[in-house]
Amino acid sequence: MRVQLRARALPAIAALAVLLGSGAAYAQEYVKVENATREQLPAPQFVGAAYGFIWVAILVYVFVVARRLAKTRGDIADLRRRIESASGADPRR
Amino acid sequence: MATMSTVGRGFAAAVAVAIAGFLVVPMLIVSAPVEPVMGVVQKIFYFHVPCAIMMFLSTFVAAAGSLSYLFKGAERGDRLAHAAGELGVLFGACVLVSGPLWGRKAWGVWWQWDARLTSSLLLFLILNGYLLARRYGGPAGKKLAAALALFAAVDVPLVYKSVDIWRTVHPQTTVVPSLDPAMRPAFWASFALITLVWGILLTLRLRLEDARATVEELHLMTDDLAEEQP
Repeated sequence: MRVQLRARALPAIAALAVLLGSGAAYAQEYVKVENATREQLPAPQFVGAAYGFIWVAILVYVFVVARRLAKTRGDIADLRRRIESASGADPRR
Repeated sequence: MATMSTVGRGFAAAVAVAIAGFLVVPMLIVSAPVEPVMGVVQKIFYFHVPCAIMMFLSTFVAAAGSLSYLFKGAERGDRLAHAAGELGVLFGACVLVSGPLWGRKAWGVWWQWDARLTSSLLLFLILNGYLLARRYGGPAGKKLAAALALFAAVDVPLVYKSVDIWRTVHPQTTVVPSLDPAMRPAFWASFALITLVWGILLTLRLRLEDARATVEELHLMTDDLAEEQP
């Protein structure tokens, strides 16, 4: 009984392996597609976007730092005035 | 006073050269030959690479300043590190935006989790962590941030050599030394311009840090005066 089962199972397993193997091989093949539309990305726009981003980022940074610097210098002037009026001495000395 | 005016004149001259470079460098980039494999999009290389070098330079300056702050207690070193750390984030953002724009056209994808891109992102995140630690780290924030700057500096050689150690989609470190002679003027002009801009920004940012230190000193003086007065 066991021998009979083995005799029937082995060819079935072999057939399955061949089917799966050929299926896997088929899946790995490249299939040529005729007249397919190819993705066309405009390169100058990508270069322009990258260049533009860098310069806009730098200019925004300069603007932000310049504003912070102006505010801090205003604070310094204000504090010096307060110290001068409180002590009558020049705090820069 | 004379020294101050000389420094001021030098700064103004550097800004003038940078503005001139801003007009000349794009012309050099446009007139540079088109790379046969990648086409026009390869021209992103002319400012993507200098920005990456400035990110590395900023990280090294931040680490050097942090070292002097951690081991010598130099406040000026800490201020330099803060200024350079912020520039590292700025140029890191430029690298991480210009790179994917190049990659989308050249590789067909915006992003790949390969060694160069991932380690660059990691460096950018550490530099952001540096700034966040300074801002929200409380009394120990400056020292915590200084330690992070040292970690960021350790990541720089890893970012640079990643393309040679691992197999990545990113071009290797041999690209710049083996650059076509016709492409060199555009690259080196762009590199000089971005280095000059980096120097100007560092000077400007350092002036802000120095001004903030003066504000702190003056606040202490006003507190002392308030205590002295009956």
